[in-house]
Amino acid sequence: MSSLAVIGRLEKDAHTRIIDVDTDFTMDQVVEACLAPAVGYQARHPKPGAMLRVRPTTDTDDADPFPRSMTVAEARLRHFQQIDIYVSDD
Amino acid sequence: MPLLERSAWYDIARDTNWTPKYVEVDELFPPDQSDPYGIPVAEWETFDEPYKVSYREYVSVQREKDAGAYSVKAALARSSYYEDADPAYLSMLKLHYGAIALSEYAACQSDARMTRFSKAPGMRNMATFGMLDELRHGQIQLYFPHQLVSLDRQFDWAHQAHHSKNWAAIAGRHALDDVMMTRDAVTTSVMLNFAFETGLTNIQMIGLSADAANMGDFTFSNLITSIQSDEARHAQIGTPVLEIMVRNGRKAEAQQAVDIAFWRIHRIFAILTGIPMDYWIPLEKRDRSFKEYMTEFVGEQFERQLLDLGLERPWYWDIFLEDVETHHHCQAAATWAWRNTLWWNPTGNVGPRERAWLEEKYPGWNDTFGMYWDVMIENIRAGHPEKSEAVGMPAMCNMCQIPISNKGGTVWQARAYQLEYEGRLYSFCSTVCKWIFELEPSRYKTFNTIADRMYNGEISPNTPESILQYMGSGVISQGGRDAHDLAWVRAYDEPGATPRLVAGS
Repeated sequence: MSSLAVIGRLEKDAHTRIIDVDTDFTMDQVVEACLAPAVGYQARHPKPGAMLRVRPTTDTDDADPFPRSMTVAEARLRHFQQIDIYVSDD
Repeated sequence: MPLLERSAWYDIARDTNWTPKYVEVDELFPPDQSDPYGIPVAEWETFDEPYKVSYREYVSVQREKDAGAYSVKAALARSSYYEDADPAYLSMLKLHYGAIALSEYAACQSDARMTRFSKAPGMRNMATFGMLDELRHGQIQLYFPHQLVSLDRQFDWAHQAHHSKNWAAIAGRHALDDVMMTRDAVTTSVMLNFAFETGLTNIQMIGLSADAANMGDFTFSNLITSIQSDEARHAQIGTPVLEIMVRNGRKAEAQQAVDIAFWRIHRIFAILTGIPMDYWIPLEKRDRSFKEYMTEFVGEQFERQLLDLGLERPWYWDIFLEDVETHHHCQAAATWAWRNTLWWNPTGNVGPRERAWLEEKYPGWNDTFGMYWDVMIENIRAGHPEKSEAVGMPAMCNMCQIPISNKGGTVWQARAYQLEYEGRLYSFCSTVCKWIFELEPSRYKTFNTIADRMYNGEISPNTPESILQYMGSGVISQGGRDAHDLAWVRAYDEPGATPRLVAGS
């Protein structure tokens, strides 16, 4: 296990934020890490009760999400790579 | 003894070009410091100053102007104005002096480079006076806040900011180093004299002057109006330079220099000017909105000047116009949330009345930027003011060194534009900052944002306390807090106040 900083882009938030994650975090844990410094401080949950997923940021905002149980290491996320934390319709 | 008219001796007195015998021309004027475009000396000798002045005239006029500024200062000091001034207004002064005073010294060095390395005698002459202007501006804008240090230690940042590692100071230095300090005399003139001084200093010096006069601060109003009269004169160095470049087939290079510098300085000035204008000045004292100033002074005047010179609007003009309505609102909220990192005390000052004004000036404000404030205001009203302060770090732009933010809410435009270069991932606030990097990666690639420094070991340990200490917050002075101690939030408790104005919240 080692730590890594990614850039989290939480749906509806005005900021992109640096988020420390462990390489063995699952994507659900990454979601929690991204919500922690934002929701309740300057942002609301983008859709309370809805599931949030993680996907790589792309120009068209339509990349497939990483599997929820996939780890940061398995997703090969890099230092300061930007990820979306978004409301999933699934 | 009778004196000749200036016009009888001026041209011959300033025509100081000669043919060097002991060194080559390129040794006297190294192209990378003088003119990398290879424009013939004969062309540079056609440079004709739009504004002519002799040293005798310069000293006489400037002495009188500076004496006027100092006498107004003395009168206001006797009135205890600053002891009783609105704390948010004092923050505007702290921000201005910290950002501008030593920038003037930097500009002095830029003019000195033109004075030494320009091949155009007329340009060297004008730049000499420009150099003196900037020296005076540096001195006077250090002297004025100096008397206020005993009132509030944060005024010491007038002298300290440029030597500190505060993130806002780093952002300013990065832009100014790029535009003023690290290029040849010709490009520096296009970037500094034209794009920066002609394009954008009006908004800081004229716009804020009107607000300062409305606040009764005739010292500051008089000071920056006086400074702007100098800026307006030496800014004209850039116009003949551009004409000569365009005439000699260097329009593309001139356009690129304008485009880089205009964007870089806009990103800084929007914070420096836009936030005080639209948030800190009390509603009844505001002259115009930042957007209205930018529309008049930049959108109309600067655009016309560009076209008159045979140049075009920067390719990103639509992005720029969008940024005028976005960037400073994002940073008003962000700097307030991360206020302990600042050398000034920002006020939130977004009560119901102010929100109505912002919504009128910037339609859609409540549905985007307002949502951000809603959460912080709710926390304060619920008795948790500590939750109105941000935790963690925003991502920072590898070009402008400013937090990467954009509209939140349903439109959700916040994103970093990323680029991999030589194995490193760079993040940018916009396609424009990314474009500037891609033009010349070697110029920018090794620079580290505050966020980079947290992870490369430069800031160690990587804790909030050590980051603040690294930036000088709590060291040079106390870090920022709300200028009004959150009193503005009480306006939501008044009868008839609309506590939440955001649709769907």
